[in-house]
Amino acid sequence: MKGDYIITSESVTIGHPDKLCDQVSDAIVDNFLKDDPSSSIAAECAMSSGVMFISAHYTSHAKFDIQGVARDVIRDVGYTPDAFNADDCTILTSFKNHTASDYRPLDLDEMDNSEIDKVTAKHPATLFGYACDQTKALMPLPIYMAHKLAEQLDAPSVRKALPYLLPDGKAQVAIEYQGWMPKRIHSISLVTCQTDASAVDLNQLRGDMIEHVIEPVLKRHKYATDARTNIFVNPEGLVIGGGPAVHSGLTGRKTGIDSYGEFARHSGAAMSGKDPLRIDRVGAYAARYAAKNLVAAGLASECEVQLSYTVGAARPISVHVRSFGTGEIEDTELAARLDKAIDFRLGAIVRDLRLHKLPSEIEGFYRKLAVYGQVGRIDLDVPWEKTDKVEALV
Amino acid sequence: MNNLDSHKHASRGLVNPVNIQKQGRVRLDVAGLYRSPQLKQRLERRLSEYDGVVSVEANILTGRLLLRHRREFSVPEIIEAVEAELGERKKVIPATSKPAPVPLKSAIKVALSGLSSIVGSGRLPAPAFGATNAAVPAAGGGKEIQQAQAWHILGPDEVLEHLGVAIKQGLSKDEAGIRLRRYGANALTASEKRSDLSIFIEQFLNAPVALLGASAGISVFTGGMVDAMVIMGVVLINGMIGFVTERQSELAIKSLAKTGVREVTVLRDGVAQPVEVEAIVPGDILILVPGTYIAADVRLLQSHRLSVDESALTGESVPVTKNHEFVGVAETALGDRINMAYMGTHVTGGSGEGVVIATAEATELGQIQTMVGEADAPQTPMERQLEKLGTQMVYISAGVCVVVAGIGILRGFGWLEMLKSGVSLAVAAVPEGLPAVATTTLAMGIGNMRRHNVSVRHLDAVETLGSVQVFCMDKTGTLTMNRMTVVAAHSGGQPMDVVEGKFQIDGEQLEPLAREELVRLMQVMSLCSEVEISGDAENPRLEGSATEQALVHMARDSGIDVVALRKEYPIGRVRYRAEGRPYMSSLHAYGGDKHLLAVKGRPDAVLEMCSHQLIGGKRVRLNEQARAEILAENRRMAGNALRVLGAAYRELDSGRMPAKTGQLTWLGIAGMADPMRPGMDQLIQMYHRAGIKTIMITGDQAATAQAIGEQLGLSGDQPLQVLESTKLDEMDPDLLAGLAKNVQVFARVSPAHKLKIVRALQESGYVVAMTGDGINDGPALKAADIGVAMGEGGTNVAREVSDVVLEDDNLHTMRIAVRQGRTIYGNIRKMIHFMVSTNLTEIEVMLIGIAAGWGQPMNPMQLLWINLVTDIFPGLALSMEPPEPGVMDRKPRDPDEPIIAGPDLKRMLFESGTIGLGVMGAYYGGMRRYGIGPGAATLAFNTLTMSELAHAYSSRSHYKNVFGGIKLPPNKALLAAIGGMTVLQAIVSVVPGARRLLGTTPMGVTDLLIVAAGVLGPLIVNEATKPSAPPKVLEEAAARLEEAKASDKNITQEQAA
Repeated sequence: MKGDYIITSESVTIGHPDKLCDQVSDAIVDNFLKDDPSSSIAAECAMSSGVMFISAHYTSHAKFDIQGVARDVIRDVGYTPDAFNADDCTILTSFKNHTASDYRPLDLDEMDNSEIDKVTAKHPATLFGYACDQTKALMPLPIYMAHKLAEQLDAPSVRKALPYLLPDGKAQVAIEYQGWMPKRIHSISLVTCQTDASAVDLNQLRGDMIEHVIEPVLKRHKYATDARTNIFVNPEGLVIGGGPAVHSGLTGRKTGIDSYGEFARHSGAAMSGKDPLRIDRVGAYAARYAAKNLVAAGLASECEVQLSYTVGAARPISVHVRSFGTGEIEDTELAARLDKAIDFRLGAIVRDLRLHKLPSEIEGFYRKLAVYGQVGRIDLDVPWEKTDKVEALV
Repeated sequence: MNNLDSHKHASRGLVNPVNIQKQGRVRLDVAGLYRSPQLKQRLERRLSEYDGVVSVEANILTGRLLLRHRREFSVPEIIEAVEAELGERKKVIPATSKPAPVPLKSAIKVALSGLSSIVGSGRLPAPAFGATNAAVPAAGGGKEIQQAQAWHILGPDEVLEHLGVAIKQGLSKDEAGIRLRRYGANALTASEKRSDLSIFIEQFLNAPVALLGASAGISVFTGGMVDAMVIMGVVLINGMIGFVTERQSELAIKSLAKTGVREVTVLRDGVAQPVEVEAIVPGDILILVPGTYIAADVRLLQSHRLSVDESALTGESVPVTKNHEFVGVAETALGDRINMAYMGTHVTGGSGEGVVIATAEATELGQIQTMVGEADAPQTPMERQLEKLGTQMVYISAGVCVVVAGIGILRGFGWLEMLKSGVSLAVAAVPEGLPAVATTTLAMGIGNMRRHNVSVRHLDAVETLGSVQVFCMDKTGTLTMNRMTVVAAHSGGQPMDVVEGKFQIDGEQLEPLAREELVRLMQVMSLCSEVEISGDAENPRLEGSATEQALVHMARDSGIDVVALRKEYPIGRVRYRAEGRPYMSSLHAYGGDKHLLAVKGRPDAVLEMCSHQLIGGKRVRLNEQARAEILAENRRMAGNALRVLGAAYRELDSGRMPAKTGQLTWLGIAGMADPMRPGMDQLIQMYHRAGIKTIMITGDQAATAQAIGEQLGLSGDQPLQVLESTKLDEMDPDLLAGLAKNVQVFARVSPAHKLKIVRALQESGYVVAMTGDGINDGPALKAADIGVAMGEGGTNVAREVSDVVLEDDNLHTMRIAVRQGRTIYGNIRKMIHFMVSTNLTEIEVMLIGIAAGWGQPMNPMQLLWINLVTDIFPGLALSMEPPEPGVMDRKPRDPDEPIIAGPDLKRMLFESGTIGLGVMGAYYGGMRRYGIGPGAATLAFNTLTMSELAHAYSSRSHYKNVFGGIKLPPNKALLAAIGGMTVLQAIVSVVPGARRLLGTTPMGVTDLLIVAAGVLGPLIVNEATKPSAPPKVLEEAAARLEEAKASDKNITQEQAA
């Protein structure tokens, strides 16, 4: 029947090498913005067994020990020294400081309209935002559950109860939809790494995972498995050792996890490691902000907002909404209302959502977004999850 | 790959597979191959004789061997074969045709490769002498043989008794003198000094002189007594020139050996005193401290955590811990005799004393050297190339002689005449002086560099200097001052820079004493300090941590009398920094009953305890914004890799330290760094222009390294790549080699890992220079193609293993060394270019003349005159060319590129051809005027002589340089040589006696015009066909050269001052 399908989304834990790279990249962004909101940064990271590579191009008056920040992130993730040692892993950095030639002080709050108009995108980009009423975060259910499971794997209580776990793990959730609505949990799959083979066997691991990870999450969020739900724990067997020693990582390789878990369209560009004046990062936030407010306003139970920017223009050349037939009004009307309610100019997004100022107010603002999703983070009170445009839209 | 695995070496063997790239190719690391051309030759020759071996290439720069073979060979088989060759090597005593002094280092190297093969194969040499206690005086008043003993099986007391020396006392001065006479100097390179006479005689013991002698003899028989005398005179002149230059280079080379370790500390007459290495005798007691070069074999008497690096002896890079209490048995292997220490090794840690049991040849090192035999000083790669070139020229000219003589005889010239012509042509055509001249030039370069405070310790280092592609430099003390200095401050809400002790805001200087908060800041930082000040007021001696000293210096530079201040505010109770308390506080009573609480420490922690701050002399409440600003400034300074300290104070009524520090008034932050040495950034730029990659190595954290790396501009316009690793040794070598190519800064590296960096760079094919001054730098300095030791700060060991010593510790002099290296190489090329093309011209002219039936364009005497008189001086002068403009704006040469490549040879043929045409033109004109005979030959002779002089000038550059074109710095020697030779030529053309000897006739105006045309024509053609360099580049280069000269002068002046 139409609208019947199964969708799987995944999330990974803080120690996953790709996400570790994302966190280092975003921690660097945080530190630059903390002391200088006008900083522009492109920070990328790659890691492999015992070696980490960081490339950063920046214009900023902020100064800090980038390698130190990277080591702090690795240390916080909590690998055992033999898995990945924060203090003596090799770090290769490639930094280029463009401050002398390219620095522009940027006080968006002081700018008038015409000045904001001059803050333009540097390259064409199309960004998507999505929201639906499947969860209270207005996120699709599969990715939402996957994030919760990953978070639970990282929870201090779990790490304490199961000391053999390494902080590298993956959670996948498959949800069966009927008539476009989530009906049941088709399967849950967890893959974890452990310190050594003798710690637990597969049976015990499965028991531990169900008891400490899956059940608490289901209970907390009032989801239930049924008799046919498959629970997989390490389907390919125990994984001994984990993290960068076992598989390498790269910034921006988990864009599905950052966004909607492949449930909706998302831009291919990575978000982590970019400053807020990069349209491919903030455009995605703005689109999510728009979509969420539409759904929250009850104008649609599901919608996708598409923003297209071009070079040299502040305003998007296209604001497009699809409500997949759930809209209370025409999609074009939804788009028109959005355009009126929200200022989609690049500078205005950054200014209104305070994207350049937040790192100096909230410790590790962007870094926290680098795991468990950049959108749908009602746990962090991020500005693009606010539903403060509801009134303007109705 | 199974082959590889099945080859189990007990430890690291002599031959180790590096990688087996594919079937049929094996790369091996061969012990002793590094810098051993002899071994290279031998291995290449012998191994290629093996059945199934396709080709063998040994590289003495990397110590590796590439072997291509047919598939059926297995890797262990190959390794076995190579090892067999190594094993045989020590039995071969090379014939010493020409005993040359062996620079100590190469002697040791040769010796060591022999030693390691013995150690590696587990066969230790038995003591070479019988164990006789009685010292038998050797016959003939020569040196006495030292008694041999298995010293390691004796206890310290027995050893002392045997040697007749008292512990704590050492030998007396007299006794040491007696023993020195009895046993001889403690020098391995007992180089028999070549007497001046023998050098002189050797000038005449070569083939060309024999040829000339034969020629003279023939002349005598044919009645040409005068001819014979002239020939002998020419031979004599040449001999003298050869003698003078060779003697000079001999002296230069000899002085090389003296640039190593000169003195060590020895206990004599109960006093520890420096004694020259050569003067050490058996029975001397050596004092061993870290860095000590062990100058003789010793039995340890004392040891306290003594560790010795015996890598030079055993190849084992891990230092061996020594213990004087150990007593071995006769069979104890060399490496396990931990109560002994051997010559050539050095102390890496701990301390101790040892009594010398053997010196010079009697040491383990000496015995091996004796076994290997006195090796020749290894030829430099350039010398080998030149020898090859010379041999080729001999074949060519021999062939031509036969042809010329043959044709001449066929054409009816007399037998004898043709014989003489042939012989003289042969002499003329062979550039016999090439290798010798090259050596001389290299040696002259060494002398030249010495004047600039660069001691070069090997002849071939001069050559390698010119091809350095990567320069690795230590940060601390080399690129930076190694002195903490306050460079930034934040006080009264204002950030300021401190430049050479002066405070500045946005580049504007300010008067620190006019700002109360700044004065207070400096006072508090000088009072609340553990620095001890002693000595006079003008030049006080400070003792304490580097950062605290920097703070006191800042106060002094600003005009605060710290000693008086401390008297006024005597220190009372003090709370030192401790775990959990990142600040220090001290209480000072002053003005009768008042008390000052001074606090200094981590800025954020100090700020936390402050309620107010001092701005413009007023106490103001600290609000959140001010705090945030101060913290941001603190982070910014820390981010700039500064060490930061904050200060605050509080005035108290009672002299009791408050239980809880608080209610303080904030004064400010001082930021300190080890500043860059002045001018280093320009130096780095200069290296980049010269195509030399620069790499900084430091033990500092990446952030500090990054900041200084950016200041230095290490990466030019590219992103600065920093590799921070404490575990370089655990990194996959291939990965490191891949990464090292693009890294400019290695951070948190311990000196021991510098070797890994050198190897990684060499693996990528670079010629690497590396600086070092510490004991741990030894292996890296040795492995580097150019190990650069710092003269003043450097340890003995660093000097001993280095190739170049910068006596003034100034990296700027390294630039001079590189420039010299490049210039010398270039000059040798110019000289070869000139000499070879001259010889080619002579061959061509004689060949054409005789073949065309035009008679002999020149007689033998004329050929000799050109070759042995008028060409010699310009040739030598070319080797004294000053650095070309732009010599440091070029990429380093490819080390594998031959000194004379195909295109060069073509060019030489072309140039000699045009000159030949000019000469033949003049000869033809002469023939038309005078017919075949002396008249025509005179024209040819004069044209050729003058052409060669003009060509010498043209050979100064491969760009247009004679008629406009590039502007070269003047070479006075060349001008003098050309002028002098022109005058000489004029003289012999007019003096009747000389004319008779040379067989020339007087010339008229027309003749002179013909000669002029014959000279100018080819010169114009040769110049016109040379490329002209882009003028702009050259102008810039010339300007920089002037600059460089000026700065050299400055350096010299500084030294003088």
